[in-house]
Amino acid sequence: MSRIKITLGAVEAFAELDEEHAPATTRWLKEALPIQGRAVHSMENGREVYLVLDPSQPVPDENQTIYQTVGDLLVYYKPAIFVEPEWPRHVRDVLVVSFVYERDTAIRGISGALATNVVGTITDGLDGLVHEAPRMRREGMGQMTIGPA
Amino acid sequence: MRKMLFELSGTAAVAELLDDVVPKTCDAVWEILPVEGMSIHANWSSREIMLHLEGDKILRLPPEGPLRRGTTAPGDIIYYWRSPQMSRGKQLAYSAAFQRELSEFAIFYGDPSAGGMAADDPVRMGRDSDLQVQTLFARFIDTPQAFLRACEEIRHEGLQKLVVRRLEE
Repeated sequence: MSRIKITLGAVEAFAELDEEHAPATTRWLKEALPIQGRAVHSMENGREVYLVLDPSQPVPDENQTIYQTVGDLLVYYKPAIFVEPEWPRHVRDVLVVSFVYERDTAIRGISGALATNVVGTITDGLDGLVHEAPRMRREGMGQMTIGPA
Repeated sequence: MRKMLFELSGTAAVAELLDDVVPKTCDAVWEILPVEGMSIHANWSSREIMLHLEGDKILRLPPEGPLRRGTTAPGDIIYYWRSPQMSRGKQLAYSAAFQRELSEFAIFYGDPSAGGMAADDPVRMGRDSDLQVQTLFARFIDTPQAFLRACEEIRHEGLQKLVVRRLEE
């Protein structure tokens, strides 16, 4: 089972990829690593942090759920209206990799629950994310890197 | 109609109080102006920034006006109060005073604007429950692009000082 490292600001966490149930998405993700950018905090889903990805490689729907839970590592197409107001007007969704760091989170589409690919589970370091993400909400969002463990 | 000025990061927007719809709420809000504090961006309700009311500015008002059924539009400014027992755990992104009870101006600056999933909870909307109050009391009538951008920036750059004052012509 492959492990990846998530670095958010000053903290590190580790996730195990679910290659058995999400083979195509985990393969795609591993080839895309390392991924780096400015983290974005969800404004519609609760306690979720994400990175916008290059959508040139389409990701299939697999291992999906609308019942996300704490520690889930997700890949999905987020409706563009939740990203940036200046997003090109023809873009309807953007590919993101995200994680859920706390309870009271539900990934939403425009009119209700949104199915997301579950690609892994955060197994170590979740406590650090629980404090770092709210700190960034107050003090400004910092860099996030996802790379091999 | 009375007007309020919202000052944020060197920008300003003007809102009109809905005196004819919710006069008691408008009077109560008018009474505490000016109000200032560090505004935080929503993480459930989309394009909304919040100004928490604290100290002698805290408002605990009863519901007033038409029952709102989860409908929110860009430009809406809502007086929001939530009882302490309605939120489990702590809101780590909020300052210590607001981790349980919440009294705030909920300022919906753009599209999409929504009250979050809880906005559709009939129990929370119920007039008899005393658990949550969400009164639409003002609407923006002049929102320059720079002000809207400053609201969005809070999401990325963190808390920003927001001042709400009376606009008397």
